[in-house]
Amino acid sequence: MTTATSHAESPGLWVLAWRRFRHDRVGLVSFDIVLFFVALMAASWTGLIASDWAREVGVSNAPPTFTGPKVASARLEHAAAPEPLRRDKSDESAAVDPLAGVLAEIRASRPPAAADTEIVDPLADVLAEIRGRSGSASADETRAATLIFGGDKWGRDVLKKTIKGTETSMFVGLAAAALAALLGTVFGALAGYYGRWIDDFFNWFYSVFTSIPYLLLILSIAAVLNQKGTMTVILILGLTGWTGIFRLIRAEYMKHKVREYVQAADAIGASHMRRMFVHIFPNVSHVVLVQLSLHVVLFIKSEVVLSFLGFGVGVDTVSWGSMLNEAQTELLLGNWWQLAAATAAMAMLVTAFGLLTDAWRDALDPKLK
Amino acid sequence: MKPVHDILVSIRDLRVSFRLDRTTAFEAVKGIGFDIPVDSTVALVGESGSGKSVTALAILGLLPKENSTLGPDSRILYRDRNLLQLAHGEMRKLRGCDISMIFQEPMSSLNPLFTVGFQLIEVLAEHVGLGSRQARTRAIELLREVGIPEPETKIDAYPFQLSGGQQQRVMIAMAIACEPKLLIADEPTTALDVTIQKQILDLIAEVQKRRRMSVLFITHDLAVVGEIADHVVVMRDGEIREQGPVQRIFEAPQDSYTQALLLCRPQLARRPRRLPVIDDFLNRAPAAAPDAPERSRGLRGDEAIVIEVRHLGKSFYSREGLFGKREFKAVSDVSFKLAKGKTLGLVGESGSGKTTVGLTVMRLHEASSGQVLFEGKDLLAMPPGVAMQYKRRIQIVFQNPYSSLNPRFTIGQILMEPMQIHRLGSDEQERRNMADALLEKVGLPGTSFFKYPHEFSGGQRQRIAIARCLTMKPDVLICDESVSALDVSVQAQVLNLLQDLQDEYGMSYIFISHDLAVVKYMADQVMVMNEGEIVEIANSDEIYLRPQHPYTKKLLSSIPRGWRGPRESPIAPG
Amino acid sequence: MLAYVVRRLWQTVPTLLGVVLLVFFLFTWVGGDPAYLLAGKISNPEQIDNIRRQLGIDQPIYVQLWIFIKQIVSGDFGVSWATNEQVSDIFLTRLGPSLTVLVPLLVVDTLLAIAAAMLVAYLRGSLTDRMVMIGCTVGQSISILVYIIVFQYLLAYRLGWFPVQGWGNSFAENLFTFSLLPIIVGVIVSLAPDTRLYRTFFLDEINQDYVRTARAKGMSETRVIWVHVMRNASIPIITNVMIQLPGLLVGAFLIERFFSIPGIGREVLLAVERSDFPVIKAVTVYVAIATMITNLLADLLYKAVDPRVQLK
Repeated sequence: MTTATSHAESPGLWVLAWRRFRHDRVGLVSFDIVLFFVALMAASWTGLIASDWAREVGVSNAPPTFTGPKVASARLEHAAAPEPLRRDKSDESAAVDPLAGVLAEIRASRPPAAADTEIVDPLADVLAEIRGRSGSASADETRAATLIFGGDKWGRDVLKKTIKGTETSMFVGLAAAALAALLGTVFGALAGYYGRWIDDFFNWFYSVFTSIPYLLLILSIAAVLNQKGTMTVILILGLTGWTGIFRLIRAEYMKHKVREYVQAADAIGASHMRRMFVHIFPNVSHVVLVQLSLHVVLFIKSEVVLSFLGFGVGVDTVSWGSMLNEAQTELLLGNWWQLAAATAAMAMLVTAFGLLTDAWRDALDPKLK
Repeated sequence: MKPVHDILVSIRDLRVSFRLDRTTAFEAVKGIGFDIPVDSTVALVGESGSGKSVTALAILGLLPKENSTLGPDSRILYRDRNLLQLAHGEMRKLRGCDISMIFQEPMSSLNPLFTVGFQLIEVLAEHVGLGSRQARTRAIELLREVGIPEPETKIDAYPFQLSGGQQQRVMIAMAIACEPKLLIADEPTTALDVTIQKQILDLIAEVQKRRRMSVLFITHDLAVVGEIADHVVVMRDGEIREQGPVQRIFEAPQDSYTQALLLCRPQLARRPRRLPVIDDFLNRAPAAAPDAPERSRGLRGDEAIVIEVRHLGKSFYSREGLFGKREFKAVSDVSFKLAKGKTLGLVGESGSGKTTVGLTVMRLHEASSGQVLFEGKDLLAMPPGVAMQYKRRIQIVFQNPYSSLNPRFTIGQILMEPMQIHRLGSDEQERRNMADALLEKVGLPGTSFFKYPHEFSGGQRQRIAIARCLTMKPDVLICDESVSALDVSVQAQVLNLLQDLQDEYGMSYIFISHDLAVVKYMADQVMVMNEGEIVEIANSDEIYLRPQHPYTKKLLSSIPRGWRGPRESPIAPG
Repeated sequence: MLAYVVRRLWQTVPTLLGVVLLVFFLFTWVGGDPAYLLAGKISNPEQIDNIRRQLGIDQPIYVQLWIFIKQIVSGDFGVSWATNEQVSDIFLTRLGPSLTVLVPLLVVDTLLAIAAAMLVAYLRGSLTDRMVMIGCTVGQSISILVYIIVFQYLLAYRLGWFPVQGWGNSFAENLFTFSLLPIIVGVIVSLAPDTRLYRTFFLDEINQDYVRTARAKGMSETRVIWVHVMRNASIPIITNVMIQLPGLLVGAFLIERFFSIPGIGREVLLAVERSDFPVIKAVTVYVAIATMITNLLADLLYKAVDPRVQLK
């Protein structure tokens, strides 16, 4: 009758959770930090900042400004001495295509019938770019002796690299977590709600995936795919990482489907889909949210390791993992700043995410049963 | 009767408050005082949130230290010592030794990973310092004293291997192991079936007399109090409303709240047309006269039949081994008829299959065998699409008001959803009007439409659940323990509402409950179930006056009857 | 008991079949013809032909699957494409070094984490508790790579307290010289998450009713925690430790790589870099089998701790 008159809609559980969350100072600060990183990612992605990260603006291994310019001789002994800890991968500045010879050989040895299918050198484009870059760099007139957070081997600004790395690592983490959460939620909902053979099937699927240790599974897939790239990493992490979420969501659905409000929905004639996603899902969505944020952290860490090992993002992409890879040899020369920058950025984001997850968990805990 | 100086524990100005968050605190106990005399049973009665359990925990010093604070003038004197200011070590020596306690949930109160004997001997070793051989012998004696069969073997059993009643007996054995002066029993029988409740109450009374100790018995159930207590303390919202000897409290209650508690609960002997509710007493409105006309119940045999259930069976299967299945018959061969506009009461203890019957009849569970005839058609044999039209006309109100409403839906959404699914009403506006009308019918303000379930109390939520059923204008309403989780005063209001609705709409009820008094009040016909089978079915007055089956007799004799005049005096000493 | 074990093993068959199918699918369909992959590693076309014949690339898919299953059952995965070493030999020789590092690591980490978690659970809500938890959160947020790089640089390279990397011949030398720094780094990395996890296990138990009963019986807080809470919390802790066990076989890839420990983890990384499929396939399948066996062991262990568990 009086729908037009302003009715005071009461706060729902999400609003109440947000109110509780607002009292959590640690949670709020963490939330701000995460938002800051998201903004950084977005700005870097759209090219607002750090789009010129690849420009070689400083001298090679330019130290951070606050330490002052490097005294060349002081580090020389160390620079000369260290035997590299691990076999150097192909030295990019030389830019010799390691596959070129091999490919030539294959092309030659293949039967003529197959000759029309092109064998593409996966590294060709990248190398062309690298060659072009090293050419132009040498033409650069002036290079700074110090940079705010120092420079890398080619004199690129570490601060900008870190921003670019943040973009990659965070995007991989968020996208992979979203994929994993989607799979885990849908599988878990189906298995937990329907039970019986559907549950058996997904459980079988789950036990297959979990009987192979996580990193081994990822490495096997990386080995098989044999191609790098941000998309590949997201797919690998997302397609293998759903198992934990699946188990929790399945348990939640099993718990909720026997709750009386779901039985009441059955009694009033609500369909299975309606019961599953309109009735139950909003009541387990906080679990999904918390898991999502846990998995972002997990996947960022995994991406860093994968990229470090060279199975992750492409050669021309910067991520925290590839920065750490470079930083490892740099540290032996006493150039700690790239290591510090990548570590600090990652530690800040991951800590903030961790605290935020805890705060969310506290705020969303549905004590109002 | 007892000399005044024989006071064991005296509580003075006890205040307990809990910190909810940084700024707000909640005062659970607001400066109460009472005495526990030597060698007697004091009952602390109150509804949920009255502060009775908090008081008990305060005596033992078991309140959580993180968020609870005691008032500065609060004192709990035991033998001239203030328990609240005792050093931690001193207090620990008293616990389990001078003062011991048993709890509501015996299953979770025992450590699941240790044997009964281990947990019993632990107490003896701590407080009496018995050697292991002696302690074991003593433990077996204790188990025998509390009526555990074969104590020599049961001492090595784990808690999960015992029944609920036996678990509570073990708890009692642990509590009396060191000859305590005071036993605190916090709702010790609430989680138990009525027949087991009777046994445990008898055991506590017997132990109390034999050992000449005092018992602080905490309960929400006045009928139990009448059976066991010497003194009664009535609490509400952290305050004491009334205290005194049991006879006076029952025969001449002074406080309006106490009067309400005594009269709101349905009684076996009387069946007023309307139960008095708490507001009648608090507002000092004229209470229903005791000689008001009573409602007569029962079937004459010529009523129209709405539902006929024939040979209903329901089995659950648990997987065993590789391909094996184990069958568990929850319900077998149940047949009954439900008359139009009448109420069929379904009574039984936990695990008797009464809830399964309700859920199977309306096809929320799939039946294993049998027929449910609704207007002559078998509901169970219909394809799901056809059954939908009939299912709508059988609705259910569940036990737990806290889980039966979707917490993420507003009341409006909850009420509108069934009408939208079944296309009742021509448009949203009409549905909205119907929802508003129903809210008014169940006694809730129109503003409830935009609120969420968590803003309502248990009784109000149960009204919302009833309104949800009414949106579909059902012919049959199944009430599955619908008032069991509610406090006594709220229970009466919901029962009155259900009765009014039946009178107005002529609905038939299947009223499922473990509470025999409530069923007696509500039902025309009563069906008693045990282990999945019907043991007896008859008109309700008939079954309560002249039970035929031995199980029905046992059930009826276990009902706590409240105060029935002075009991015989305790066994003389020596 | 024996019947239970047999039945449980029988129940793992579908899972095992799933793993086999997954691995087969990955390496045959997604992985494609080894000729292309091996292009850089093996220049001899005869050898590639040999490998193709061995895998049955020209045969229908079910024959290829059958060949794979026969390999698993016989344990003969052929030779490594990269080194021509027998795959089974690679396993046997690399297992020892992996276990030398990882068993002490797991034991020390578990004991320290339980002790730390119990301490903070006992002091829950106090300043110590909060400081330790914040420390764990921050410590957890730093990549394992950083720990390894920094510790290796500072403790071994700069200070010379430990050898930078390497592996010797005698067990004692390996354990007490070369494994020490890897173990220390490993413990530091896993201590923070484990402490946090075990703390929640203890706190879950501390809030149970039986703990209230134990206090009401007058038990001391020490006894409540060490006897009543500990036994109950040990169930999820066992689960967590058992989950980590199969990982021991694969080793800690990174630690082995950085410290040049000739273990299975390092071998897997090398194999992935070289697209050495036989090695990866064998490792994946055998670790999956090991996982199932540890799951069974975990169930038997539950039986020992929890009387409610029925082995049926």
